[in-house]
Amino acid sequence: MTFIDLNFYFFSALLLAAALGVIASKNPVHSALWLVLSFFSCAALWLLLEAEFLGIVLVLVYVGAVMVLFLFVVMMLDINIEEMRKGFVRYLPIGALVALILAAQMIWVVGPIGPDILDDESLKQAVRHGADYSNTKELGRVLYTEYVLPFEIASIILLVAIVAAISLTLRRRKNTKYQTPSKQIQVKRDDRLRIVKMDAEAKE
Amino acid sequence: MLENYLPVLIFMAVGLIVGFVLLTMGGFMLAPHKPDEAKNSPFECGFEAFEDSRMKFDVRYYLVAILFIIFDLEIAFLVPWAIVLEDIGLFGVLSMGIFLGVLVIGFIYEWKKGALEWE
Amino acid sequence: MIEYTPDFLINFWNWFPVDAQTVAIILGKIVLILLPLILSVAYVTYAERKVIGAMQVRIGPNRVGFFGFRLWGLGQPIADTVKLMFKEVIIPTQANKYLFLIAPILSIGPALAAWAVIPFDRGMALANVDAGLLYVLALTSIAVYGVIIAGWASNSKYAILSALRSGAQIVAYEIAMGFALVGVLMASGSLNLSAIVEGQAGGMSSWYFIPLFPLFLVYFISGVAETNRAPFDVAEGESEIVAGFHVEYSGMAFALFFLAEYANIILISALTALMFLGGWLSPFEGFTFLEGTMFEFLRETSLIWFLGKTSFFIFCFLWFRATFPRYRYDQIMRLGWKVFIPITIIWIFVEAVMMLAKVGPWAV
Repeated sequence: MTFIDLNFYFFSALLLAAALGVIASKNPVHSALWLVLSFFSCAALWLLLEAEFLGIVLVLVYVGAVMVLFLFVVMMLDINIEEMRKGFVRYLPIGALVALILAAQMIWVVGPIGPDILDDESLKQAVRHGADYSNTKELGRVLYTEYVLPFEIASIILLVAIVAAISLTLRRRKNTKYQTPSKQIQVKRDDRLRIVKMDAEAKE
Repeated sequence: MLENYLPVLIFMAVGLIVGFVLLTMGGFMLAPHKPDEAKNSPFECGFEAFEDSRMKFDVRYYLVAILFIIFDLEIAFLVPWAIVLEDIGLFGVLSMGIFLGVLVIGFIYEWKKGALEWE
Repeated sequence: MIEYTPDFLINFWNWFPVDAQTVAIILGKIVLILLPLILSVAYVTYAERKVIGAMQVRIGPNRVGFFGFRLWGLGQPIADTVKLMFKEVIIPTQANKYLFLIAPILSIGPALAAWAVIPFDRGMALANVDAGLLYVLALTSIAVYGVIIAGWASNSKYAILSALRSGAQIVAYEIAMGFALVGVLMASGSLNLSAIVEGQAGGMSSWYFIPLFPLFLVYFISGVAETNRAPFDVAEGESEIVAGFHVEYSGMAFALFFLAEYANIILISALTALMFLGGWLSPFEGFTFLEGTMFEFLRETSLIWFLGKTSFFIFCFLWFRATFPRYRYDQIMRLGWKVFIPITIIWIFVEAVMMLAKVGPWAV
């Protein structure tokens, strides 16, 4: 067993343990943090496959952004654990069904039955590259030329996400005052100040 | 390529170990530990804490976090583009121009809607 | 050096398997990075008090010295560290105990680990990773966890408020930072930090701060905001939310947050020096009239240049703190979203067009 194999087993064990932690912890914040750990070990596994860019971007986007949102939501919601327990029995059949289908799919793809995708020689061993190989460059060369259509579709999806997020969450309060710095800067003395000339009043 | 990452892996482990050792050594072996009720109560300028501090808060923070995810993805798309710019030339610049253009429309939309305002 | 080493030491070394030797060398290098780093963190705190003291016409710490000599108070950071070690770590009753203790470790871990890919001189980097810059960006984005978890686990109102504020703030400035980095990547065509520095070779006029001037400013100011330093320190805001997310922390647990904050300051300064000011390259490179004079050595690349440039940016951090009043929170968010992000997007457009047209300093 080489050092790389050792790393693989370590990080996959960590991934499985963390994933178990996600569904087993009672406190939703703990669940979210276990999820962070599982993303992290997942990124390490991708790095072992020399998917350098994807591995680091997984940390950047999922750990650095998506999970921050999850934590924000989960931390500040008052989730009543008792009430969640009540729903457990009701949703058990559906959950079991989904789990069963997922397990069947996985066995179909990687298990002894079904299509033998692992037969392909190139899939058995990840290609090893030299120290100066740049995975990101390879990706960039094809992403913006050969796969330009999916790339542009991604921008449309992100646009839809922006619009959806705003229309779902934006609430304007009636009586709040906003500051508009451009207006503040353009204020002249005459807008604010009026000098009134008047004669001195006679003493009574 | 992987041999470059061995020092990184070790460094990460060392970083976490340094934190752990400093905390246990300084915090629990050298330091005294004499808890009492007043000392262990949450700091609230002398008041007794009268409610749970984990409260609901403005939905605006969620919106910022969602918008952040979208822009972070944009950066993730920009990075490979930026380093191969010389190879892909005009076509690459145009394809990124359309991509960024669409997202700038989104950005203008959120600006006009007032999603970026704080009160 | 090898011929002066006694034989038994060489034999002892060769007795180990090759893998163990590799790991031992790496660990040695890590110690060589971490020890000076931690020492500089200690002395940046001293420098901070001295610099701000001087700016406010005070003396600053000048009592604690070594062996009975005062030495301008140079012993102060050591004394502070020792004191913090012997202070009790108070865990509030309502706090979430494990997360409360994990939070400082989570904030110091990434702050130190980011140093793995920083090159200090030509060929002097622990890990010459190809995606070095991306790695640093990913690690700085993890730094927010220490703050959020600390704020939530403390279960104190001030801490929660601060965690929210600084969470949203760090997130907003990270985007501006990321866009600014994209500009650097376009100019250098590489994610590798050493390659980025070497791309700036050829004298001061080819350092990236000239063609990327707006991005340089945006990056450094975002860096100040990312580290929650004044004038963006609403996360701590001692006059409103006492000390923010680490209100409940004491002793060594507090010291770890402190260490992480200053390690991050040094990291941001070092990155700015590497990406915009040519890292270890000499500002006198290409000054032909120095040839043959006694100042010829000034044209060489050196670690000293890198450290000097980094120190300049660290000084800027302290200077800002002494000069600027704290921003209001809505102003911070406005600056991040409505000023920096448009500037960076526009500059990326400009840079792309200029690079295609091969105009001026943008021509590759």
